[in-house]
Amino acid sequence: MDFQRARLLYKLVSKNQRISTRRHPLMSQNKAMKIFIFLFLAFWAVYLIFFGVMFAFALQETNYEPFDWINGGMVYFLLVDFGTRFILQETPAQEIKPYKLHPIPQNFLLNVFLMRMALRGENLFWFFFHVPFALFAIVKFYGFIGFFGYLLGWWLMYVLNGYWYLIWRTKMQRNILYLLIPASVYFLLIYFGFFFDEQNKWLFKGSMILGRAFCDMNVLAYLFPIACSVVLFFVNRKMQRKCVYDEIAEVERVTKVKSREMHWLNRFGVIGEYMKLEIKSAMRNKVVRAQFMIGVIYMLLFCFVFAFTNIYDNQPFMKTFICVYCFACLCTMTLTSVMCAEGNYIDLLMSRKESVLSLLKAKYYFNILMIVFPMLFMLMPIMEGKIQLIEALSCAFFATGCIFPFLFQLAVYNKTTINLNQKVIRSSGRNTKTQIIFSLAALLLPVVLMYILVLCFNDLVAAWLMLGLGIIGTLASPLWLRNIYHRFMLRRYINMEGFRDTRS
Amino acid sequence: MELTIDNIRKTFGEKVALDVNHYVVHSGEIVGLVGNNGAGKTTLFRVVLDLIKPDSGIARIGGVPTAHSEEWKEHTGAYVDTGFLIDYLTPEEYFDFIAKVSNIRKDVLHERLQQFEHFMNGEVMGRNTLIRNLSAGNKQKVGIIGAMLHYPQLLLLDEPFNFLDPSSQHAMKYLLESYNRETGATIIVSSHNLAHTLDICTRVTLLEHGKIIKDHDKDYANLIDEIQEYFIHNS
Repeated sequence: MDFQRARLLYKLVSKNQRISTRRHPLMSQNKAMKIFIFLFLAFWAVYLIFFGVMFAFALQETNYEPFDWINGGMVYFLLVDFGTRFILQETPAQEIKPYKLHPIPQNFLLNVFLMRMALRGENLFWFFFHVPFALFAIVKFYGFIGFFGYLLGWWLMYVLNGYWYLIWRTKMQRNILYLLIPASVYFLLIYFGFFFDEQNKWLFKGSMILGRAFCDMNVLAYLFPIACSVVLFFVNRKMQRKCVYDEIAEVERVTKVKSREMHWLNRFGVIGEYMKLEIKSAMRNKVVRAQFMIGVIYMLLFCFVFAFTNIYDNQPFMKTFICVYCFACLCTMTLTSVMCAEGNYIDLLMSRKESVLSLLKAKYYFNILMIVFPMLFMLMPIMEGKIQLIEALSCAFFATGCIFPFLFQLAVYNKTTINLNQKVIRSSGRNTKTQIIFSLAALLLPVVLMYILVLCFNDLVAAWLMLGLGIIGTLASPLWLRNIYHRFMLRRYINMEGFRDTRS
Repeated sequence: MELTIDNIRKTFGEKVALDVNHYVVHSGEIVGLVGNNGAGKTTLFRVVLDLIKPDSGIARIGGVPTAHSEEWKEHTGAYVDTGFLIDYLTPEEYFDFIAKVSNIRKDVLHERLQQFEHFMNGEVMGRNTLIRNLSAGNKQKVGIIGAMLHYPQLLLLDEPFNFLDPSSQHAMKYLLESYNRETGATIIVSSHNLAHTLDICTRVTLLEHGKIIKDHDKDYANLIDEIQEYFIHNS
């Protein structure tokens, strides 16, 4: 391919990528989401700027210079950066499909997509922290050359992290458990680099030296992330080339639950049948499966940090928050889009008497069963003596008796069908204003309520009160489920029209 | 442009999706691929277009193996499904993109799009709508026009009559016939609509369980009877 054509194709594909970002369903279809994302980013930008300035001054009176602390903790920044990339970064194999039949060589496309990945704005997001920090902590030691050297070094590290992320993101398309590999790598690096030998924190010292070399504009220091990025670039290219065929064929591995394994649900009649449907839906549909897995990972992380670190010790608000959050996060993720999956076959449900009511009951019982997961995870902080069993139980019952009925109200108002086999990132673009408000309220209101109760009484009384409220709500479930069903039926024409209009 | 398929076999698990020993589509032919669901029509298209890897065998367009080189894309146009559309573009932007990629000048693009005006029926362009927000029929039209815009010498269309209203189906038939007459291009169309296929095709190939079981020119005396009989017996 001659240079002129390569330049033209690069410009065209780059332009399309920019349009794609601008017209992403998350941004273009939903004003509320657009405002929410803007506020979210603005909040984090201000937050990071604040931290950047604060660290530059707060770390002055210590054994090391402030920039040594930040450079030394590089692996923590890269870990958080890795996590945030799940929100928007897609794999080139996903983006290549529409170009596959056009006269553009596939290798050229992969090169363009991978190169542009290095130039994406996400790699600069943490600069909201680094720029103010460097202005106050680096300039006075290294001048503006050191300032730019420091930023260039960190940018290269984020690019490297982006390519590293891409490898595992691609693997996770096949099996989400691949997430455990990068998670283990970060964990082992942090453990052996910081905690194993507390006298000789090799990772801290190594990153510190690398960071100083960035500030010195040492070419060899830059060669390290550049060389690693080049290696990962080619590893990614090879992997993506293989994945293109899978993406086009939409090859996926589904876990099939055999009918005989769910025999025990037969005793619940129609509701049991709908529970089988819920289980199959959770196992076989990308959106539902991903929501479930992300929820479980969040819960595990919170419980683990809470149980085995002292970060949240002596912070009663955070204790309450984590306890409630663990029980509320999974149901908030799944129930916010209650009935949206059923939008795909709502006409079938509506053609049978009270099948929507049976479905709602099945969903409720299914979500009650799912409470087992947070309860199991909560055993870690309970055994470590961080919380009491009664507190965990009160949160569990508060979830089934108060948070569930609150979220189930969305069954009346949701009228957008979700594409079950879409990636969870794309599907989230369909969230409505009501869903966003309900999910925020479901996560925050219980925390506020419990915190107020703790302030007014004490931990134990607050837990018993919440337990009582939860049990009442759970026992009253037949009543409020029927009420939701009646209100759903009153709105059925509006909802069904919405479901039909949004089917893909 | 000639299409040759040699010893192609593709299985999904234990199911044989495609098993073709030797099959040639000669330049200028309009071939209709017919068969029931699961016969292997779409798999055949996907293998030819290098969208799936066959277990064995080779497909060639103009003598070039499609899995080993991408030169054939210069002379081939194809529409398989909406997943291959760049759906965040408007139809105008999409056609403009194809024109630039295929080195078509702006005035030539404008001229070529005018030829599709009747087919578009005023529902595709000038509406400031993204492709993803168009109806299924209009998406199909965008895909078909996109496949024909660079005047390919080989055109492959998978189920092109699906989602089209009767008037558009009629326009589509006329479009394919005149395109073949004027450019001498080879056209391969898969369809469940037997009437349309028999109307426009110069040759009909019947697939069953991935194998070619009948392959006749249109002037073959018993073509219609045999094909109809097959579908009646297999209903």
